[in-house]
Amino acid sequence: MENQNRDTYRFQVNLSGMINILSNHLYSSPKVFLRELLQNGIDAITARQAYSSDGYEGKIHVEVSGTSTGATLLVEDNGIGLNEAEIHEFLAMIGQSSKRGEDFLSTNTSFIGRFGIGLLSCFMVSDDIVMVTQSAKGGPALEWRGKPDGTYTIRKLEGQYAPGTKVFLRCKEGSEAYFEEGNLQEWLFHYGALLPYPIQLVSDHTTRLINSQSPPWVKDPQLARKHREEVLAFGKQVLGETFRDFIPLHTTSGRTGGIAFILPQAVNLNAKRNHRVYLKHMLVSEAASNILPDWAFFVKCLIWTDELQPTASREHFYENAQLEQVREELGNSIRQELMRMAEYDPDRLQSIISLHALSMKALAAEDLSFYSIIHEWLPFESTFGRKPLGELKQHPPLYFTSTLDEYRQITHVASAQSMLVVNGGFIYDAELLSRLPLVDPDVKTERLLPEEVSLSFTDITPQERLDYYESVRLADSVLQKFRCQVQLRRFKPEEIPVLYTLSEESAQWRVLEATKEVSTDALSSVLGSLGATLKDAAYATLYFNLNNPVIGRAFHPAHQKMLPSIIEMLYCNALMMGHYPMNRQEIALLNKGIIQFIDWGLTASHVTGGDE
Amino acid sequence: MNLTEMSFDDLMEEAYGLPGGKAKLELLEQAVRVADAAGDIDQGYEARSEIVELGSFHGYPMKALVAFSWQLGQYDKNPGRFDDYSLMWSYKWVLDRITAFADISRVQIENLLEDMKTRFAAEGYSSRTYHYYRAHILAELGELDASQAEWDIVQTMERDEMSDCQACEQHHLVEFLAKREDDEATVKAAEPILKGKMSCGEVPHVTITKVLFPLLRLGRQKEADKLQKKGYKLVKGNRDFLYHQGEHIGYLTLTDPIKALEVFEEYIASSLDHENPVDQMIFNAYSAKMFRRLAGESIRFQVKLPAGHPCEHQSGEVESLAKHFRQLALATAEKLDKRNGNAYYTTLLQQL
Repeated sequence: MENQNRDTYRFQVNLSGMINILSNHLYSSPKVFLRELLQNGIDAITARQAYSSDGYEGKIHVEVSGTSTGATLLVEDNGIGLNEAEIHEFLAMIGQSSKRGEDFLSTNTSFIGRFGIGLLSCFMVSDDIVMVTQSAKGGPALEWRGKPDGTYTIRKLEGQYAPGTKVFLRCKEGSEAYFEEGNLQEWLFHYGALLPYPIQLVSDHTTRLINSQSPPWVKDPQLARKHREEVLAFGKQVLGETFRDFIPLHTTSGRTGGIAFILPQAVNLNAKRNHRVYLKHMLVSEAASNILPDWAFFVKCLIWTDELQPTASREHFYENAQLEQVREELGNSIRQELMRMAEYDPDRLQSIISLHALSMKALAAEDLSFYSIIHEWLPFESTFGRKPLGELKQHPPLYFTSTLDEYRQITHVASAQSMLVVNGGFIYDAELLSRLPLVDPDVKTERLLPEEVSLSFTDITPQERLDYYESVRLADSVLQKFRCQVQLRRFKPEEIPVLYTLSEESAQWRVLEATKEVSTDALSSVLGSLGATLKDAAYATLYFNLNNPVIGRAFHPAHQKMLPSIIEMLYCNALMMGHYPMNRQEIALLNKGIIQFIDWGLTASHVTGGDE
Repeated sequence: MNLTEMSFDDLMEEAYGLPGGKAKLELLEQAVRVADAAGDIDQGYEARSEIVELGSFHGYPMKALVAFSWQLGQYDKNPGRFDDYSLMWSYKWVLDRITAFADISRVQIENLLEDMKTRFAAEGYSSRTYHYYRAHILAELGELDASQAEWDIVQTMERDEMSDCQACEQHHLVEFLAKREDDEATVKAAEPILKGKMSCGEVPHVTITKVLFPLLRLGRQKEADKLQKKGYKLVKGNRDFLYHQGEHIGYLTLTDPIKALEVFEEYIASSLDHENPVDQMIFNAYSAKMFRRLAGESIRFQVKLPAGHPCEHQSGEVESLAKHFRQLALATAEKLDKRNGNAYYTTLLQQL
């Protein structure tokens, strides 16, 4: 009797080869067979809803029995089911897919086509797959039984079955973990957290519901604002992190939505961006990096969509025009919300910016209108400490340096003078500062060059000028060969005897000169030519501080004999304090000077016995 | 963050994490200082390798040249200590931009080309790359016929490991044909690139602007408009593409001048301290042209200029802006022509 109904066929493909491709190259983990089975169930339910929708409610039932290699897993849906022709069709699809390769997987999204591939993925964890299906359109129930050696049987079953499909998997050796109750519960939630149909997991001991009804804010993310606690709890459950704030995401088409959870800790610019994306309610990717704009590295998102095209593995998305538009619109959601906060909820914005200033600056550098709205909250480093721009701009004109190097050259002196200088050296900062007048026309910014700190120095009196004239001239001639000029001033702090400042040109010239010493002839000559134009502009200035008692004494006409050595040593000292690389000539000078001063010291000590 | 307290490794690690730009450059320069202060040649070499690459592809060609000069010197002094392949490859980046500096004489450029030829031969590479760069350099010097002769030699030789990628080579050809003002040949040569059959890190970014004007002149504005939008996205935000950002301004001046002004405002700040005089010149020249065009409009423009720009107080006077930018461009063109011994660049600016 039985044989009458049973036919044995062979897959027209090399099945073990296919399974190998699936498990080793396409899917990130064998556990995706659960995703594929859930997907089959959802597709079948969707198809049945379209077929007849009177009072029908879709549901998915998962049951596990037995342990270790004796374990069996049943995944059942009450969807539309398959008739015989359709079974042959999906098997044919499997055959085609091996010939067409990955393209088939990425383009064919029909219910039947997907069904076959989904079932095939089960071979990763089972050598014995049985499917029992009853089509809602009528006809006998069918049993399909497949083996990885490439054979399968189809059998017509007697009796009446409710429409739907059951897939039974027997555990394959080595796959025990995929049949374990705890894992099943975790993974089913993992993939199906947003499914609109209940999934029930039944084992020997318990029956539990994996997912509750999908919350209303999934349909309309704007509603999330009213369900704050629930959304944060959901974020913790799904993403495993405790968040304190979020921004709802949506696109105009309404086909993509989500929640951008604000990361509770600061992140690096190059941190991995792992957003979790659900396609047609099913998790497809936990590491979608290209679905938000680059600047949005301060959020971790849950995103659901039905308009993007997954890649072959169904774990990422194709970079196409559609994705580009979605990315732009999701980015816009975040931008708009931040701008809204600036207006209505500044405290909230401030707490986000305090953690994620870098991300905000990246966006501000890209978008002037965003910058104009949030600029007051962006923090910058300055001689007055790290302060928001809104506070800093109260001190016009707002001086800033464009590099950290320049800032370093003047920071001590500027702080001692209570002069506000903003450090534009870190990423985006100088750019934002130079654009500040564009977003606030009332504020005046000025780029400060190191040689300009002297703006705030006190000039010496005409009498002092006269008294020290000869000494200054002498000092000037000593440093002439280093393209450095001498200025005598008074400035705070008095502990600093000398300050070496360097224009950009002279900094560049110093590097060129130093490189010439080690390069090849052809390139040294080139560097020489490049340096020639810089040379005229390349004067550094060494400021001597008359407020410092030693300087007053050193410049006194009585010490003119020692003055050249003193000047040279202070020059070398200033270079070292400013972390400038010294060239050969300067190092030689330093060595000579140290010996000279030891000699002088010993001579003096010889006279006084060291008791002075 | 206190830069001066960071170790070499910390500086490098932080630098590796940043996108190409000024902040990254600063970290690398500090790393060089730390390495030099410690007398550590290997670290100095490593940090400078990064500067050469960053400088070459993010708009600091002078810094790249200086860092490379140091590397080559150390390479010669310490035989066998450093990898020759990547250093020889860097040589090409340096030569690619060397003509942009008018202070570097023709003799010096010739010497470098010969030096490269000798070194490549010593490492067993063919002289194809030498001819290829000679063709490029001659074209940059405005000697198009001599350049053509080198191109002819290149065509007969086989590629080797030192050859630029095929997309880059094809792009150089497109660029050369554009210089020859052969519109049809330019568009034709660009086809494989525009169709996406050839691409690399900088192609088609730099190729697209080369065909915009030819397409417009051939009456194919629709195609050109579409390409312009695509191309602009690719060069957006990277200061290494100042030349091309300038060309976008130039094209938009003809098709959508208000949009051209927006592009100008986006890049004027990065053009100010740009290290490549030729890129600056082209940016300024097209900007001048745009302002002349805007001067003909009946509306009044308020141009957004960055803090410290010399014309900050003339931001409403497009005519004087046109003059300012034209003068800047011409000054560079005259210096280049003087070095080159012809009138190529001044003529080019007049024709833009």
